Parts: sequence; C-alpha cells; structure tokens
Amino acid sequence: MATLHSERLARDFSDGTSLRRVLFPTTLTLHPGELTVLSGPSGSGKTTLLSLLGLVLQPTEGRLRLDDRDLTDLDEADAATVRRQAFGFVFQQPMLIEGLSVRENILLAIGIQGERPSAAHQAKAEALLADLGLAGTGPLQPRLLSGGMKQRVSIARALVKDPAVLLCDEPTSALDAESGQAVMRILKRVALEERRVVVVVSHDARVFPYADRLLKIENGQIVADARERYLP
Amino acid sequence: MRSLVALRLVLHDRASTAGALLGVVAIVFLVGQQLSVFFGLLSFMSVLVDHSGADAWIMSRDTRNLDAGKLIPARYLDRLVGLPEVEWAEPILIGSNLFRTPDGSYETVRLVGSRRPRYAGGPWRFAAGDQHALLDLEAITVDQIDLPKLGRPAMADLTEIGDRRVRLAAITQGARGFQGTLVFGTLEKVREIIRTPAGQVSAIVVRFTPGTDREAALARLRVVLPYASVFRTEDLSWLTRQYYVTNTGIGGSFGFSTVIAVVIGVVIISLTMYTSVLGRNRDFAVMRALGGRRRDIAFVVCAETLIITGLGLFLGFVMLAGLLHFALDSAIPCYLPAPVPIVLAVGTLLVSLLASLFALRTALQAEPAQVFH
Repeated sequence: MATLHSERLARDFSDGTSLRRVLFPTTLTLHPGELTVLSGPSGSGKTTLLSLLGLVLQPTEGRLRLDDRDLTDLDEADAATVRRQAFGFVFQQPMLIEGLSVRENILLAIGIQGERPSAAHQAKAEALLADLGLAGTGPLQPRLLSGGMKQRVSIARALVKDPAVLLCDEPTSALDAESGQAVMRILKRVALEERRVVVVVSHDARVFPYADRLLKIENGQIVADARERYLP
Repeated sequence: MRSLVALRLVLHDRASTAGALLGVVAIVFLVGQQLSVFFGLLSFMSVLVDHSGADAWIMSRDTRNLDAGKLIPARYLDRLVGLPEVEWAEPILIGSNLFRTPDGSYETVRLVGSRRPRYAGGPWRFAAGDQHALLDLEAITVDQIDLPKLGRPAMADLTEIGDRRVRLAAITQGARGFQGTLVFGTLEKVREIIRTPAGQVSAIVVRFTPGTDREAALARLRVVLPYASVFRTEDLSWLTRQYYVTNTGIGGSFGFSTVIAVVIGVVIISLTMYTSVLGRNRDFAVMRALGGRRRDIAFVVCAETLIITGLGLFLGFVMLAGLLHFALDSAIPCYLPAPVPIVLAVGTLLVSLLASLFALRTALQAEPAQVFH
C-alpha cells in the first residue's frame, strides 16, 4: 500500500485584488493503515489541505508524492486519472447522483472515464454493499435510502476501485450519532484491515477516538500532530 | 458507462427532457411542415412540365417561365417532325377562362389543350375515366381536389367554360396547378374556349429519338427555330419554379417562417438543457472529483443531447408523417422529396448540438473542488 507525502504544500487564494494565503507550507507523511483525523475551526484550512491532498486543487507551492510518483505538476486530465485510480472520496453529503441506482452510483467511480465495469467490479460493488449492511439495495434509487445508508453507499463508491488513499470531508456531520459512529467504525476498519491511507476532516469530537493520528490545524498551519490510539 | 449515465439523467430529469424534446419536435415538425408545403407549391408550379413526358419544350423567344410565354406559330411543328432526332412533337395550348358551376357562379380555371391521340402535356393520372374520354370534342377533365370548388359536377354533366359548352368526361388525380384549377381538354376545344387564332399554340413539346445525344439535338432545334426558346424539360421546370420563388415572395416567406421555427426550437432546447445542467451542476462536480475529465463531462452532456434529439426526431417525423398522410388528398399542398427528411434530420441534430453549447459550457465549468464544502 502507498504512502502520501506532502512537502511544504501551500495554497493562496485571490479575491481579485490581493492574495491571501490559506494554507502555509505543510509537510506531512500519511501512512497506510492509519486513520488520520484533521480537525480545526471553520476557515482554518483543513478542507483546503484535503483538496490539495486529493488533487482537486493545485498547490501554489510545494510538492505532493504518492510513494515515489510526483503528483504536483500533473495536468488536469492526468490528475483526474490519478484521482480515479488511487483516490477515494467521501463527502460531507453523500452526493449520490439521482437517476442512477445505488449500484450504478458505485460503479460510476470505475466507469466515469468510459470504461465498462467488469463482472468482477460488479461483484465487488455487491460485496461492498453487503459488507456495509446494504445488501439488496443495489437496484434501488438513492432517494429511497436514509442519510446514513446513503453515506455508506458513498463509502462503497469510494472503495470499489481499491484506492490507496481515502479522503473524507466531514463524513459524519450530516448524520445522527448512531449512523456517524457506524460510518467511523467502517472507516477505521478500512484503514486498519485494508491498509489504506485514510484522512478524515472533522471538527466533531466524537470522531477523535477513532483517530490513529490527530492533526490540528489553525490559521492555515498544523499546530498539533498527536499519534495516539484512542480505541483498540 | 458514460452513455448509461446520460440515459439515466435523461430519464430522470423528465421536465427538462420534455422541454428539450418539445424543442426538437418543434424544429422537425414545424420546419418539416413548412418545407412540405414549400415543396408542394414548387411541384404545382411546374406540374405541367414535369408530367409532359417530353425531352424539350419550344416556347416563344425570351420566355422566363412556363406561364409567361407568347403564342408561337404551329407551323414550327412541320420543321421539327422531319428531324431525325425527333421521335414526336406535339402542340400545347394553355390559357384561362371562367368555369360555370352548377349554382351559376364562376371559377377561374387554367385550361390545357393537347392533341389526340398522344395527349402529350395532357392529363396523366385519373380518379375516374381515362384519356380516351377526351376523344369526345366537348370533353374536359377536372381534378378531384377541385370538385367541391366547382360545385361537385358529376361525370357527363354539361356546363360552360368561357361560354362554350363542355362535358365532364374524366376526373384527374394530382393535377394541380400553381395558378389555379387545371382543366384538360382537346387542343380544338381549348382553342375555342380561350379564343386563340388558328395556327398558334402556347408551346410545342418534343421527345427525342432513343439514343439521341440530347445536347446535340437541343442545339439542332435552336438552329432550326432561331426565333423560339428551346428548353430542356428540366431547365424549364427549374426556371418556372425559380421565377415564382424569387418573384412572388414565396421563397422569402417560407425561408422566414422556417428560420423562426428553428429559432424557437433552438431557444427551447438551449433553455431547457441549460436549466437541466444547472440543476445537475453538483453531480458534474462529483463526476469530476471521482476522476472524470472535462471530456468525460462533455461526453455525458452531448450523449444526453443526442438521446433527446434521437427521440425528438422520431416523434417529430411520426407527427410529420401523420400530417402528410392527412394532407394527401386535401387541398393543402404537401410534398417532401426523398432527401429532405435526411437533410432535416441532420440539420436538426446539428442545431440541437449547437443549442446545447451553453449547457455544455456550464457543465464544463463544474470543478471537483465544489464538492468540498
């Protein structure tokens, strides 16, 4: 499994008249088998860091590597291909596409560049659904599922392509406490048992016990980096 | 998978799909209807020329269309029939006068006289009776479409045209002229009705001997008849149509209404596709975040457009076929030459793609970063 490494990664935003630095040079190594929680107040830069790590934003400076592969200067199409192959995303809202069935939403992560999902992919999608407690929901429309179920579908969508890195943006904030705990247990298992890099952005304290590593970010800078296992 | 996504979006977004479909159907049906009427009128303009069965037409000098020629001497026939290139040559007399209907009112009719027994330039298809009916000197034909207008005269009924007695001996089918009701009769009867001096005819139609070089034969006719216009049949047909299209405002009128139909369709398609894409903006951002490139998003939007256009073409052409079927035996001029539906389908497809450009532009602006709050 791969290691994600950022080296003095920074990002500026322009409001049209002046530049504002929202993330100061940040050096991090994120290891497989580890669930990293990135917390901090609103506007502290945690989502910006997550976007940079997931190749959806280009850094103003610094470098990003996945193992030995430098991902910093990829053009838009190549960055999209790397995202499709190596990164899984779980968003604050499940963001499933209405009109596509649950199964099609999951397989979209495989086929978005035109590939026809193989029988093995389809079997894997069904297996993931069963694994996440959603057996039999494949043909259903997302609107028929509860919020917690949708979020688990979005986790299945992120995992169906066996990503080396799973990036989650506030995955529990739209869920009730019980569903949130269920989602975190799944993410924890994905990190530990499947040896993936898992990064969870959250300011929900109920998430922290699941972290192998807790990063705190304020004003665009990491101010604390604690490695502590809260749960066995 | 991208095509499947497009299909699913089309099926799910029913309101916008219905709107865009309406736009495509509007283009196909409205433009198709306009074109069918236009080509129907075109076929009326040159109907006599197109059904004459001749290779060449001889008319007066400097003639610009079939309906604007002076009379020519009938003796030209004598010069033509002796030529080895000419299989036959027949005179035609064309003029107008008033048809007396059973209730005593009058209708203007266009009379066409042709010579027995060939009746070249005469009637070509019959709903009742046949060409032999014209062996009777008083016999005339009218078209079945014009029967109501002429007071529904029955077969063998006597009436008057230009105060001359005529008998309805046959009913034609599809003989409709641009200048009004077409009535066929013998050369002698029509001469009597329109009061043309003996020895004069409106035109002479010529059929060349099989195997003759047509261009050489036409050149020969022009030498033999230096004071007449010699046309290939296709050229006279084209000149007549062109004359009416450019000089009566028909071309401009149909062109304008066709453009309006296209514009209405484009506006409907543009707005509905744009609204649909706006509503799906977040989904396109999700697709980008999942690894979709801009070209993948473009593929989905274009596939949506193609699916809607394909469906719209099917519906539009079914409606158009229904209209044409309904209008087949009515007074509405409707005719679509074979290549027109193909051109209309390709044109509609291009216009639909053009109309979806705004939507495409908006979809391509979806950024993967949008999915992070």
